[in-house]
Amino acid sequence: MINIDKYAYASKLHQKNSIEKIAFAFITLCVCLWANSILPSLVILLVMTWVSVRKGGIPLPFFLKLLLLPMSFLILGVLMIAFQISNDPQQFVLSVPVFGTFLGFSKAGMETAVRLFFRALGAVSCLYYLSLNTPMVDLLSALRKLKCPKLLVELMSLIYRFIFILTETTETMVTAQNSRLGYSGLKAGYHSLGALAATLFIRAYKRSDQIYTAMEARGYDGDIIVLEEAVPYSWKGFLPAVLLNAFLIVSVLLARQYLGGLL
Amino acid sequence: MKDYILETQALSYTYADGTRALKEITLGIKRGQTTAVLGGNGAGKSTLFLNFNGILKPSSGQVLFKEKPLDYSRKGLKELRRKVGIVFQDPDSQLFSANVYQDISFGAVNMKLPEREIRRRVDAAMERTRITHLKNKATHSLSFGQKKRVAIAGVLVMEPAVLVLDEPTAGLDPMGVSEIMKLLQETQKELGLSVVISTHEIDIVPLYCDFAYVMDQGEIILGGTPKEVFSEREAIRSVHLRLPRIGHLMEILTKKDDFAFAETAMTISEARTVLNGWKNERTTL
Repeated sequence: MINIDKYAYASKLHQKNSIEKIAFAFITLCVCLWANSILPSLVILLVMTWVSVRKGGIPLPFFLKLLLLPMSFLILGVLMIAFQISNDPQQFVLSVPVFGTFLGFSKAGMETAVRLFFRALGAVSCLYYLSLNTPMVDLLSALRKLKCPKLLVELMSLIYRFIFILTETTETMVTAQNSRLGYSGLKAGYHSLGALAATLFIRAYKRSDQIYTAMEARGYDGDIIVLEEAVPYSWKGFLPAVLLNAFLIVSVLLARQYLGGLL
Repeated sequence: MKDYILETQALSYTYADGTRALKEITLGIKRGQTTAVLGGNGAGKSTLFLNFNGILKPSSGQVLFKEKPLDYSRKGLKELRRKVGIVFQDPDSQLFSANVYQDISFGAVNMKLPEREIRRRVDAAMERTRITHLKNKATHSLSFGQKKRVAIAGVLVMEPAVLVLDEPTAGLDPMGVSEIMKLLQETQKELGLSVVISTHEIDIVPLYCDFAYVMDQGEIILGGTPKEVFSEREAIRSVHLRLPRIGHLMEILTKKDDFAFAETAMTISEARTVLNGWKNERTTL
């Protein structure tokens, strides 16, 4: 997560207006979900990877590694969908008899599974494109401009800021515990982990108190309002989003009309 | 008194757990000067500072700003806090925003200023604290010294009349300490601010401060110019503090090596003057 943050700041696309990027990611995401077929999903996956790697300068291995992240859930979930139970072994491509019924993969089930697999991957790549090329701060200010509920945005921004302090504190404390052999055995390990959790909670609580005091000292009265640097955006910036998705939608519709649907 | 911008009269503060953090403190912060509050750990410096801008309300006694007792109503406090700005010791407890520019703007936005004025103030504060190049950085990627500067800038945007800094030099390297102190001195001179700092970095006091108070266990035990304060050697040492190194050297030279100086000295330049005077006196003899 902290790596994603680093790449987002280093990305060559980070200066670009974040609303343009959100539009690009979310419209494409919606089209990917709507199309629900393999080819458009693959196109989206490739486009998002290409934009992030070539335009954003995100290392390809890192992007692929991130794509592997949801793999275990995805494969498990997809397998469950592909699996079916039926009394009729004829409809299965591959099946095993279990207590008088049959367990197996049908052609239709496998198709659904594969489609779902690529659909999910395409959708995830859209989100990765957004999070790898947009620093959280820009994302938050875009959400504010898009009239996202204030409370939500404030919470997100505070959580984002203090995740770093929390990890830093945790790291220091774990190092200190380690250097006093806190994790040398199973029992010691459990004990140290418990102490760590308790202390972290108290620290966090105290910290929140201090932050509140400091904010009060700067005139806080219920709303966290800050001024942002204006990033210019133009209609031209939305062009990629519109073009890509228009192309996808038209080709999916045409394929449905004349070829009976894409894969 | 007229030249005090901030005053306390018999100020006492007792925490909810019964700790008497401040006991009948009476002191004054002079307008347009830098005042140091010295004291060991737990002397009550931070508690005193929180009383200065109404975050804590005295258990007894009172605080005066521009000769008027503090108004603890919502509106009064808001007014007070923009005039008495506090920079806290740990910048991580002060910076709440993930972006430097946004964090600095917070205080000015809360004053409901027009946007152009806010932007002007933010830019000026960043320039003053020399962090303009950091404005688009993420807060968590800054070094400790940089965070400290951002924290100071975040208070300067409110254009306070009094700038209160809790341990501004704690955790900085020697270069960082003198940079921060020079920056404060410059700011104080150019904007005509009154500055209050708490510190146990003894050597910076005679260099950068016009006035000093010494606190111990919730009480003020000494007050005066740095020279006056540090001439009370025994009192200083009894409260876990020490003389500036140069002052200590001069003391040892006088006591142990029988040098007869016309004056004491607390800083390098003062010591030079005194020593040169001593040399000239010898050559004329």
